[in-house]
Amino acid sequence: MSVLFWGLAVVLVASAMWTIMASKPVYSVVALLANFFALAVLYLTLSAEFLAMIQLIVYSGAILVLFLFVIAMLSSGVASFSVGPNRLPRIAVPAVLLVLIALGLVVVGIFMPHPAPLPLAGAAVNAGAVGDANVFGSVADFGRALFTTYLLPFEVTALILMVAVIGVIVLAGEHAPYVGTPRRAEEVRKSLREAIAREGD
Amino acid sequence: MTPGLLPMPLVDYLALSAVMFFIGVTGVIVRRNPLVMLMSIELMFNAANLLFVAYARAWLNDAGHIFAFLVITVAAAEAAIALAIVVIAFRASKNVDVDEASALRG
Amino acid sequence: MMLLLALLVPLAGAIACWALGPWLRNLAGWLATAAVGISFVATLLLWGAATQPGGVHLALFSWMSGFDFGLTLDPLSLLWALIITGVGFLIHLYSIGYMHGDRAFARFFAYMNFFIFAMMLLVLSDNWVGLLVGWGLVGLASYFLIGFWFERRSAVAAARKAFILNVIGDVGIMFAIFLIVANVHSIRFADTFAASATFGAPLLYAICAGLFIGAAAKSAQVPLHTWLPDAMEGPTPVSALIHAATMVTAGVYLVARCAPLWSHSPRAQMLVGTIGALTAIVGAILGTAQWDIKRILAYSTMSQIGYMIMGVGVGAYAGGVAHFFTHAFFKAQLFLASGLIIHALHNEQDVRKMGGLRARTPLAFWAILVGVLAICGIPGFSGFFSKDQIIQGVLENGHPWMYGVGLLTAGITAYYMFRLFFITFLGEYRGNVDPAQLGMAPEAVGAEVAHEPASTGSGEAHAPAWVMNLPVALLIVPSVLAGWLLFSTDGASSPWSRFFAAQFPTAAQASAAAVPEWATALIALGVVLAGIGVAVARYATRSAQANAVARLRDESLRMPKLLVNAFYVDTLIDGVFVRGARLLGSLFGRILDPHVIDGAVRGVAASAVGFGVLVRALQSGLVRAYALVIVLGVGCFLAYYVFGIPR
Repeated sequence: MSVLFWGLAVVLVASAMWTIMASKPVYSVVALLANFFALAVLYLTLSAEFLAMIQLIVYSGAILVLFLFVIAMLSSGVASFSVGPNRLPRIAVPAVLLVLIALGLVVVGIFMPHPAPLPLAGAAVNAGAVGDANVFGSVADFGRALFTTYLLPFEVTALILMVAVIGVIVLAGEHAPYVGTPRRAEEVRKSLREAIAREGD
Repeated sequence: MTPGLLPMPLVDYLALSAVMFFIGVTGVIVRRNPLVMLMSIELMFNAANLLFVAYARAWLNDAGHIFAFLVITVAAAEAAIALAIVVIAFRASKNVDVDEASALRG
Repeated sequence: MMLLLALLVPLAGAIACWALGPWLRNLAGWLATAAVGISFVATLLLWGAATQPGGVHLALFSWMSGFDFGLTLDPLSLLWALIITGVGFLIHLYSIGYMHGDRAFARFFAYMNFFIFAMMLLVLSDNWVGLLVGWGLVGLASYFLIGFWFERRSAVAAARKAFILNVIGDVGIMFAIFLIVANVHSIRFADTFAASATFGAPLLYAICAGLFIGAAAKSAQVPLHTWLPDAMEGPTPVSALIHAATMVTAGVYLVARCAPLWSHSPRAQMLVGTIGALTAIVGAILGTAQWDIKRILAYSTMSQIGYMIMGVGVGAYAGGVAHFFTHAFFKAQLFLASGLIIHALHNEQDVRKMGGLRARTPLAFWAILVGVLAICGIPGFSGFFSKDQIIQGVLENGHPWMYGVGLLTAGITAYYMFRLFFITFLGEYRGNVDPAQLGMAPEAVGAEVAHEPASTGSGEAHAPAWVMNLPVALLIVPSVLAGWLLFSTDGASSPWSRFFAAQFPTAAQASAAAVPEWATALIALGVVLAGIGVAVARYATRSAQANAVARLRDESLRMPKLLVNAFYVDTLIDGVFVRGARLLGSLFGRILDPHVIDGAVRGVAASAVGFGVLVRALQSGLVRAYALVIVLGVGCFLAYYVFGIPR
């Protein structure tokens, strides 16, 4: 088991590094895909079956595809990515420094004495086949919890998604209000200048 | 898999999650491409999710799973809207660089 | 209810005249006159109730605790209300004739009715705020009416001057009211007077001083008197009603109304008495140096009000009020009669251009003769009784030097009033004489032309309509007879003193005076006769009449500068206050404002800009920089969790 964990850990860290260091966004997407797959396996070892599936279907299947879609759309011809000068050329230095400090703090925090021992030893999980009821993390168990105890958060989830859908339609739709704003603002400024010139003051 | 016990000490999950999270942070700060920045944010989300799942398993509490589920949902919504913004920003300024988009008004 | 009627009918008349003026035309005058008449009758009907103990009281409304508004009618306010509406009625009637043909006929009557309303409010209020409102509105009406012919610069300037000086007084009263409300927690006179015994001497003196500043401004007392002569720019009926009979005596009313306050503060009494005496003699002296008939009367008004103020100030309340009563009749009569002359002579106001008018304006001759005899205090005429009562009252209250001033003023008064009378009516008519031969200053010629409204008819002197003659004739009766109310056969209780028996506190120290009353009357008569004698010698002798032109010219040219310039009070005010204010203004405008205040404002703005420049570096708009700062924050949180929480 520790072999599996450490192998997954190596994959996770490596793919994450690749994600942020890839020269092209498409590579980043591929690296992230690897990361998500490894994470799904890790979820399985933690008996979170449903979440492992969700991780694959929603993250890998929907979100990453969305990323790919946008990359394809934006780079289909007009201009290359990352034009313009880098206005924070040396930001990597403080960033990495800060991140290392924070990481060190986390590690220090982990190994500091805690007020009470974590209640993990001896906690029992009912034995049973995958997907059975009354087994921790099973789909049946998760579903029952989601639709009984946590019904309200689930409904809120629906609301969040709907807001997102409406937001996207408003933002990127054919008559999107914000697309033309710069031009209109420029027109307003120009007409203001003209009006002021006419008044002579 | 032994029921009732974590496959590995909880501390290992914590450390792994922290490393992943700060890799994501570094990506957000260092990269200029908004798409890559968004992917880094997804990395950070996933690092958090890992902790939720690990703690849920440790304490045998469903709430961690539910929370991870919510995070995935929010991540989906966030990705959709953020990508829409990237698209219209690209339409307006014809480039994809967050350093270029430093003004609140067009 | 009758009281409310008496108060509000003039206001209704004013609104009607103002709103419907163009349609009413000449009817406006009759309407306004009728309104004042109704008010007079309503007041008269309340006579019986008002003289009962406590008088008539009408609670109107209560604003908040301690601020109860109401009307009251006791002997004092009854007297004032009757004079205001009674004399006001006659003057309204007179104005119908006098203002006939003026373009703003209706507006004039709207103002006049508004004045009657304001004055009634002033005297009928049972509280300080009502009094102050009436006080201010009266000043406003006076402003309107002095500046009635606002096409003339001098009228506008005079109106403005009167208003400003009156506002100085208003501020004084307001100050006093603040003190009263702060200490009594009520605005009613009754509560104030009930509590006045508990006031400390400094507080009482401050209140009295504040009130007296108001009274001095309204009643043209030295040194706030300079507006009154200038106020003669208004139409003559206005001068008669407002600037002689009623408004200017509001100060007398105020002091008499607040008699309980003054009785407790000998220092305040001393102040008021001194100012009154000073005003009396200054007004009289300046009256000898004037040539404009209305200005002579204005200075005499000032002088006579000085008497009244002196009387009520030192505690001779009944005498001061009595002099108000008689003065209202004879001074209104003098003004109206002089209006007859001015009207008849085509707006000529300079007495040097008059002369020999007895045949042309016989009514004016008789009216002015009676008025002059009354004001001089010839026995039998009204002024004799009231003036003697003041002079005797001053002595009884222990102020011998005021007694002397009063007597001296009586003599001067006799001189300048007879001077007016002789120059105007004796000798030959001088209207056709070259002004330069009369010693008139060149700039004064021309300025005098077209003062008064274009009157109907033509010719040098034309007969006024009956509406003008009737009031003058009617006023002769009280001018002669009113004083007999003060006459007592048994030496103690005249009808007058019985009328005011409950009104005024009896002076504690009213001991038997050093000089008995009959002796005072004789001395006063002697002084008056001396004054008349001088006037006769200078203007009425055969040779004086024959050489009138040359003599007037000499007198004009030899008039002391001090008197021509009215003791330089205006110059002094101009030099000290106006120049001072200008200097202060330029100090603020050129130095303080641009450098200190603007500097402070600019400094604030500049520091905001500077701070903005500093902070702007942080607001780069670069998302990644923000993210870095967030990470810094995360690091701080982590550090706190790791090291900050005790374990």
